[in-house]
Amino acid sequence: MSEAAVASASSTRRPRLSFIDLSGTSRALLRGAVVVAVLVAVWYAAAIYARATGNASLTLKLPYPHDVLLDLFNKWSIYARASWETGSRAVIGFVIGTGVGLLLGIVMIQSRWIESAIVPYVLASQMIPLIALVPILRAILRDPDVVRFYICAYVTFFIVTIAVVRGLKNSAPVAVEMMGSLNASRWQTMRFLRFPAAVPYIFSGLRVAAPLSLIGALLVDFIGANSGLGYLLVASLTLGANAASTTLWSALVVTLVLGLVFTRFVAYLERRVSFWQPAYRAGATA
Amino acid sequence: MTQTKPAHTFDPNAPVEARHHHEPVSERAEHPVAISVEGVTKVFKTSNEVKTVALQDVSFSIRVGEFVSLIGPSGCGKSTLLRLVSGLVEPTAGEISVNGLQPAEARRRRQFGIVFQSPVLFDWRTVEQNVNLPLQVIHENGSKAAARVDELLGLVGLSEFRKHYPWQLSGGMQQRVAIARALTYAPPFLLMDEPFGALDMITRDRMAGELLRIWSSTPGTTVLFITHSIPEAILLSDRVVVLSARPGRVLRTVNIDLPRPRNERVRESAEFYAYENELRRVLQAEHADKVEPQPTEQPEL
Repeated sequence: MSEAAVASASSTRRPRLSFIDLSGTSRALLRGAVVVAVLVAVWYAAAIYARATGNASLTLKLPYPHDVLLDLFNKWSIYARASWETGSRAVIGFVIGTGVGLLLGIVMIQSRWIESAIVPYVLASQMIPLIALVPILRAILRDPDVVRFYICAYVTFFIVTIAVVRGLKNSAPVAVEMMGSLNASRWQTMRFLRFPAAVPYIFSGLRVAAPLSLIGALLVDFIGANSGLGYLLVASLTLGANAASTTLWSALVVTLVLGLVFTRFVAYLERRVSFWQPAYRAGATA
Repeated sequence: MTQTKPAHTFDPNAPVEARHHHEPVSERAEHPVAISVEGVTKVFKTSNEVKTVALQDVSFSIRVGEFVSLIGPSGCGKSTLLRLVSGLVEPTAGEISVNGLQPAEARRRRQFGIVFQSPVLFDWRTVEQNVNLPLQVIHENGSKAAARVDELLGLVGLSEFRKHYPWQLSGGMQQRVAIARALTYAPPFLLMDEPFGALDMITRDRMAGELLRIWSSTPGTTVLFITHSIPEAILLSDRVVVLSARPGRVLRTVNIDLPRPRNERVRESAEFYAYENELRRVLQAEHADKVEPQPTEQPEL
């Protein structure tokens, strides 16, 4: 191909590309809409199939999406209160857990001795099934809110601790030497170098911990409380009234949205705080 | 521990005399010794069995205000020598004295500005915040600190880029920020570890000229410069210390008697060629030697 042919080929392709190439946000919206449309279509197909089989129990368990929407609209105040109950406690527990995780991580990197003394217990803490822990805590602490705080913090702190320890240890050796040439104190090296360098690691941990913390709060609703989204889920299953399965699906949809908002907010915070990461720099494609 | 000899004693609190860099080498010979390295050997224990001799019986000295380059093939322990002089690592044998102090003590007194091969800038800080870092470490803030940062950014020609982040700058500009940061305390010693090694040839040549200019506006600063570029060493230095491949030993010390102030055009002079050939011959002769088995040689990793 001659050079002129290449040039003309690329110039004719250009306008088409810009036609398809929407701006970042509208492309993301379009992609989201397509995914939701596919999911709703699959749901409808399944619900229609359930009714075709004539299985009454299956029909009851799988309402049409519009039934769920209607239920959400009619009983929005119930779902709003339950969301607040579960969501706010999950966020508070998450914040407490993050704080504890940061502190523990900072203490652990002070010496290898302290680290090896603490690590087994941190690991062991995650071996205890939450299902077993919640009733015990409920018996000891009595207040379901305190149990929610505790469980959410419990789930979060571990992930944050591991992330902080990794992040704080991962400063470039030459950067540590540079701080040494300034005769910076241990604390100054921590404050000016190690901690900022660890921020991306901490946020990767927080992104994982955010939905887990919400699940933790939901679990407490289930087995340690008489309110919240988790309680709505269980109540709809065990107190088998006719409309109950709609409640289950509504509560699930609300949980999903809550989880998405939570993780999105953490992602937004990350972009604001560690804007300097290669992925967030102006012009970065990742 | 031997006591420092009288020739090496130097009062670190005495005012550093301003001097012009175009005075001839013969006059600078009168300046007191600032850094002395005597019989220094450094052995790294890679494992229980394998020991790597990085440096063997290295001796040289640098006078106040001199610009001395260390040159040698990669892996000859040049960087190790810089870390020894700055007290970041301890020698296995031998003595190093910096203004009559132990290197670690000199480092504690913030006598060194160090520039590494990579700029080592903090991505979360702007250019001016990076240069301000050393001042923050000594709790110096307010108008005095701001004025110092202004002065340094002006010196390296980056005043317009003060609000930029390091990753928004070219490699050469990043290294100029690193030089500004190293000069923040106005240290008597500037140690540079292949500072232009990661730059392209064109930028590299320009940076060498920049460094000459910066050095001539910070009178009395003694520079230890590590490079593997022969022309760079000649252009910049008063003296070039040639090291052998591992284990690093001093092969020869060459005085560069070219007039100062120097600029890029010095490269075109006959004397420059002569120095270049001399240094190349020393390095090549050493390479020919390496064919012979050497008793101290250790397996490469």
